[in-house]
Amino acid sequence: MYQYNEVDQKLVDDRVAQFRDQTRRFLAGELPDEEFLPLRLMNGLYIQRQAPMLRVAIPYGLLSSAQMRKLAHIARTYDKGYGHFTTRTNIQFNWPKLEEVPDILAELAQVQMHAIQTSGNCIRNTTTDHFAGINANEIEDPRPYCELIRQWSTFHPEFAYLPRKFKMAVTGGPEDRAASQVHDIGLHLVKNDAGEIGFEVLVGGGLGRTPMIGKTIREFLPKEDLLSYLEAILRVYNLKGRRDNKYKARIKILVQALGAEEFARQVEAEWEQIKAEQPELKLTAEEIARVQGFFKPFDYDSAAAADTSLADKLASDTDFRVWYEKNTVEHKVDGYRGVVVSLKPMLAPAGDATDQQMDVVADLADSYSWGDIRVTHTQNLVLADVRNADLYAVWQVLAEHNMARPNINMLSDMIVCPGGDFCALANAKTLGIADQINQKFDDLDFQYDLGEIRLNMSGCINACGHHHVGHIGILGVDKNGEDWYQITLGGSDKEDASLGKVLGKSVGADEVADTLEKILLTYVESRVENESFIETVRRIGVAPFKEKVYAAAH
Amino acid sequence: MPLLINRQVVSQDNWQFVDAEASLEQLPKDGDIVVPLALWLENRDALAAHNGALGVQFNGDDDIEPLLADLDKLALVAVEFPVFRDGRGFSQARLVRRAGFKGQLRAVGDVTRDRFEYLHRCGFDALQVPEDRFTPETLNAFGEIGAYYQGALDDPRPIYRQGR
Ligand code: SF4
Repeated sequence: MYQYNEVDQKLVDDRVAQFRDQTRRFLAGELPDEEFLPLRLMNGLYIQRQAPMLRVAIPYGLLSSAQMRKLAHIARTYDKGYGHFTTRTNIQFNWPKLEEVPDILAELAQVQMHAIQTSGNCIRNTTTDHFAGINANEIEDPRPYCELIRQWSTFHPEFAYLPRKFKMAVTGGPEDRAASQVHDIGLHLVKNDAGEIGFEVLVGGGLGRTPMIGKTIREFLPKEDLLSYLEAILRVYNLKGRRDNKYKARIKILVQALGAEEFARQVEAEWEQIKAEQPELKLTAEEIARVQGFFKPFDYDSAAAADTSLADKLASDTDFRVWYEKNTVEHKVDGYRGVVVSLKPMLAPAGDATDQQMDVVADLADSYSWGDIRVTHTQNLVLADVRNADLYAVWQVLAEHNMARPNINMLSDMIVCPGGDFCALANAKTLGIADQINQKFDDLDFQYDLGEIRLNMSGCINACGHHHVGHIGILGVDKNGEDWYQITLGGSDKEDASLGKVLGKSVGADEVADTLEKILLTYVESRVENESFIETVRRIGVAPFKEKVYAAAH
Repeated sequence: MPLLINRQVVSQDNWQFVDAEASLEQLPKDGDIVVPLALWLENRDALAAHNGALGVQFNGDDDIEPLLADLDKLALVAVEFPVFRDGRGFSQARLVRRAGFKGQLRAVGDVTRDRFEYLHRCGFDALQVPEDRFTPETLNAFGEIGAYYQGALDDPRPIYRQGR
């Protein structure tokens, strides 16, 4: 993974000192509240229901074992012993003290981490495919480009006060595990007819109040021009994006108002000027190669494929085999698998990990996966490069620490935002509903029969839980002070991205799991051979589900 | 109001900022004046005959495209930040500099410490800071972050061309 040089380290160290001073000035009354607010936000610090919340950046979801241990240490020392991994592949701490935040940032800086631009109206952490570098279908590893974007966007002097937050996702090929079509900018590595590698550029996707799928504004962007083109998009947005209404301030609204074609025309015109004025912005082949050098394939063991112990274990241990089938994925190198560490146990908040669990994963990474850990936008972790022969040992340790529930991509692998228990913006609670669903569908065999289902839940319309793009989406709404839940069907955040359609009127807090049951049984009755849930919904539409759910209520 | 030019406090400021509602007739007869963009666009010729240097002020709401061709007639361009969160002025500054403007580019309005460095990097050489938000300590804002990844107006080289 990328290693800081002196400059990278200096930037982060200076930032710690700067924020320490800003906090001091704020506490001394020299810095007004309203001005400290965007400064602390640009350092990931929110004031929440219970306490401040600190969001730490995990650039494109990649962590070293040393960084994971530091997160565990922070959870233990400054928080209540756990952290929460988010759909932005960052981690949030829910209980830090404002006065201690500069110390936490200083600790993070020791392991090349920070909280820079994890909130506020600026360019946020870029996300990518959690199987980058190990999946056989990618054109190139997207992570070097994410790192180039990280550097370009960090403290960009022109784009620190955008109309609204700004999120980008990069995919390495035709498969999309980064929800790229619902990002402000989605970048897809593609190859053109001449065999050159570049990007397809999508703009204006997003969730929240006005969910939209991004639109392609350029089919092929040479990779050397990545940063100049991003600069052009951001400049047009910074100048023209609405600032009168925060719900209409995202770039998707601008793209919609102008039309994708006109927006693209303005970007291209600005881009021509930028290229002429700032030829320096063009990436050099050396710089791309330098950054790619940090993401080179590991020195894989050529004897790994000769292992026979895995087959024996799979034959003799059913629990292990089920886990292997559900929670590991193919690796482009023979004899290796990618392991998904489930942060979706039976009854605990999705995406939460205790300090001890973090330490355990760090140790596993060191012993079996080259010391790297990835965070997925579905709030799990990944050990991407485990030898077949080591899978059994990894499984045993994960199982011992409640991180081996064999449910990846199943119903209980839910994305769930923190909701009303923590988040000051929430309209309804989410964690109790997730528990209710887990209890109702505790039979994993039933879940396996259902097959792949993406269930996403948000506690309010801000959609941190990506409910619009869940096969099943659950949105918490407030009705006269009570928690109600609106259900959508048919969303997807994959390469076939789509937005879910509302099933009907919202249901009460105690009816969510029962309603889901009706939906799932309707699927079971309606599916034709081998048809997945989302395929059935797409084929028959929402109406049959609606009928079952609401007819049965009388 | 404290005025910083090239990161230093200067005590002398010859510029008179004309009221936003002022008409041509109400303008001072001579001296260096800064007029609102609209007044400039409507009275270019009359203003060109003014006895003294000329400046124009606008903010993020204004379309500055028509102004970019006139910059050689101006000695100062003032970009107003109505609230510090309004970041349009950063991009407008870059457009003004790109159009070849070599005169004083001044940030006015809600111009406070924690944005100095970014303003400077985007091409502002002059920062007009509200009286109550200025102390000598404020100048420490410059150089708080001692390196940068992006090229900008002060140094066009991104990190990969800085020869580090
Ligand atoms: S979706 Fe709403 S409730 Fe959930 S974390 Fe985001 S803002 Fe909070």
